[in-house]
Amino acid sequence: MRRAAAVAVVAVLMMAPPFLTSNQFLLHLAITVLLWTLLGVSWNLLGGFAGQVSFGHATFFGVGAYATMILYLRLGLAPWYGMALGGAAAVLVSLPIGLICFRLRGPYFSLSTLAVAEIVRLIALNWDALTNGPVGLLITALPPVRLGGRVLDWESKAPFYFIIAALAALAMLATWRLSRARLGAYLLAIREDEDAAESVGIDTVRAKVLTLALSAFFTGLAGGFYGLYFRYVDPDAVFPIALSVEMVFIAVVGGLATVIGPVIGAVFLTTLGELFRERFQVGHLIFYGLFMMLAIRYLPEGIWGGVRRVWAVKR
Amino acid sequence: METFVQSLVSGVLTGSLYAMIGVGLTVVFGVMRIINLAHGDLVMLGMYGAFWSHVLWRIDPFVSLLLWVPLMFLGGMLIYRFLLRSIIPGGELNTLLYTAGLSLLIANLALFSWTGDYRTIKLPYAITPLRPFGIAVPIPLALAFVLAAAITLALYLFLARTDLGRAIRATSQNAEAAALMGIDIGRVAMVTFGLGSALAGAAGVLLGPSLYLYPTVGEILIAKCFVIVVLGGLGSVAGAIAGGILLGLVESLGAVYVSVAYKDTIGFVIFLLVLLFRPSGLFGVGKS
Amino acid sequence: MALLTVSDLTRDFGGLRAVDRFSFAVEPGEILGLIGPNGAGKTTVFNLITGFLRPTSGQIFLEGRSIVGLRPHAVIRRGIARTFQLVKPFPRLSVRENVTLAAFTHEPTRRRAEELAGQLLERMGLGDRLDAPAADLTLGAQKRLEVARALATRPRVLLLDEPMGGLNPREVDEASVLVKQIRADGVTVVLVEHVMKAIMRISDRVVVIHHGEKIADGPPDRVVQDPNVIAAYLGTRVA
Repeated sequence: MRRAAAVAVVAVLMMAPPFLTSNQFLLHLAITVLLWTLLGVSWNLLGGFAGQVSFGHATFFGVGAYATMILYLRLGLAPWYGMALGGAAAVLVSLPIGLICFRLRGPYFSLSTLAVAEIVRLIALNWDALTNGPVGLLITALPPVRLGGRVLDWESKAPFYFIIAALAALAMLATWRLSRARLGAYLLAIREDEDAAESVGIDTVRAKVLTLALSAFFTGLAGGFYGLYFRYVDPDAVFPIALSVEMVFIAVVGGLATVIGPVIGAVFLTTLGELFRERFQVGHLIFYGLFMMLAIRYLPEGIWGGVRRVWAVKR
Repeated sequence: METFVQSLVSGVLTGSLYAMIGVGLTVVFGVMRIINLAHGDLVMLGMYGAFWSHVLWRIDPFVSLLLWVPLMFLGGMLIYRFLLRSIIPGGELNTLLYTAGLSLLIANLALFSWTGDYRTIKLPYAITPLRPFGIAVPIPLALAFVLAAAITLALYLFLARTDLGRAIRATSQNAEAAALMGIDIGRVAMVTFGLGSALAGAAGVLLGPSLYLYPTVGEILIAKCFVIVVLGGLGSVAGAIAGGILLGLVESLGAVYVSVAYKDTIGFVIFLLVLLFRPSGLFGVGKS
Repeated sequence: MALLTVSDLTRDFGGLRAVDRFSFAVEPGEILGLIGPNGAGKTTVFNLITGFLRPTSGQIFLEGRSIVGLRPHAVIRRGIARTFQLVKPFPRLSVRENVTLAAFTHEPTRRRAEELAGQLLERMGLGDRLDAPAADLTLGAQKRLEVARALATRPRVLLLDEPMGGLNPREVDEASVLVKQIRADGVTVVLVEHVMKAIMRISDRVVVIHHGEKIADGPPDRVVQDPNVIAAYLGTRVA
């Protein structure tokens, strides 16, 4: 009962901001925080629960973004359907990537995902016919949408806020369901010791591939959202190593293998970073680096892990 | 034919510097089994060191080696002693993540302090290239090559002939046995990390006059570094040298004969192939 | 028909032939000891049987069906379980969770899986530590945990890889009793061991491997007197 009440409160809080303010900067900040929450939660499925630390998740973000943009600009597909298909495209791409990269373990897996991400970025940069190369893709204006009598013209940020909040909530729900399911238990075993997991009858390949697909799906959705919100994508915006790395940091600093961890990480790091960026323009990732180092040294279970430990002691 | 030789020469020259970066990373891996993601940023610091000592004090970059190499050696030892030493027992992945954090910290502090504007080190003697046998060889690159070769030779002699060098090699092969033989592996680790950092810094100083400087260049450099080190075999100095030169050649020839656009891709594809099919690389010692 | 048959099993690592046309059969209800000097290939044989390694050539049959080429999890589900020479618990997971995960192979719900896990752990004397992280256990307790984990997959054959390594004499005796109990419950056991006293006492039959080849196969007291075996391995005498 208390758990349900807490969830309800959080849900209300999440939906509140557009009603509390029409300050476009604050809404933009909130949207950015939620976008990174979605990314952190998505990454956490594979990196936190399954223990497969990917440094190349930007691949799925970029694929989702480009798929959405291309489907709208070239094929006229309604953008928000395109976003869903962007997620699907990311899932498709995740299959061969998993096939290649899952043959490796630990840091070697991580490095291989980095290499794949760079290859994909370079392809996007050079395959002009498909992606427009370094010039990128631009949506001048999103088509207005009829919603229950009102017409949304996408001028205000509020509708975007609700969409990203819903996506983030969906990802968090998926994480929660996974953590309670047998697959979630299997993933934690794989994270501890893959060979031992095989030796108790766990199909580790199937578990990893499924988890990667789920993780890629949500990351792809985030990419699609990004494209429609910023209305411009280019290879360096959606495929850079920095983006992959930031996803890792958010999840690690917040707390791996938990539902709330990446949320905390995103709120904390993104807010700090964006505020810093407002003031100083460059170098906002200083905090990411600093807190990652502090987390690994003093709080390996992340901020949420630390909070839970303090609560447990107090009982 | 001339184009071929030209790109061959460019490839080897650039490759020698890649090699030096790779040697620094691989030596650290060999002794401590850690992959230092901040290595590329240490190169960046060397580059900026050469830049600032040139701009502020009019010191020629190649002369500034005498200043920056010892400083980076010291800096590396301090990083090991006060930051890394307590992290390493936490495991490979934790250390990897920690150095990722360090990398971001260094790069962004640099970004904050020096802005993201591209810098160049302009040298009066860099304008006209040498032309032995009609092949254009930029003077800074040639100087860099010669010095890189000299430093690598010095490193080889150090590892092969001195007690400390032998201690480093022993620890690299079997840390436990080395400890039982009375080698202070804590000290060896600290010196090795200093060495790796010094090599990175030196590579940065040497590369400075030939590249555009920007604070996040470490990102691309570390990515190339992996290709080199995995190709040559993690832990093998000879492998890193071979890998570096090979990468330089692949990029140079690739740019001419395949396509300028995809030349960087080739490196990563090779990297993936090596990881998958011959993870110990050409000469590797590390476990896969 | 033999329960587990290994036939001309060969495994090369580059130029090194670790297992060389190795053949043996295990009858249902047997306790088979597999011995040999260090590096003889014993753990490699286990890895080959359980799918962690693929044979270069040769056959492996469980109840007449080939299991070559199956991934480890599939081999486990067919009914062969194993423990590891160097214990591999899931360190941060609880003792109970370690076994529950294995119980999932045959129990459909978490409740039933946890029940089975609890029962097995009780039998192994770990019933008082169900919620402790596996990493906190002593070596002996971790070995018993690994056995419980393997048994939770309801195997027909249990491969034990040096279960007595690192145990004191009292623990070795307890482990010997445990192995016999497991056999009494209907599980066939193949046991790799260096502790000769235990092997000789509890094995029905002993197979000796040396440089990847079988050099003896028979009841313990006969094998012990085989000159080839003595030459390769046993040295002077057996207690």
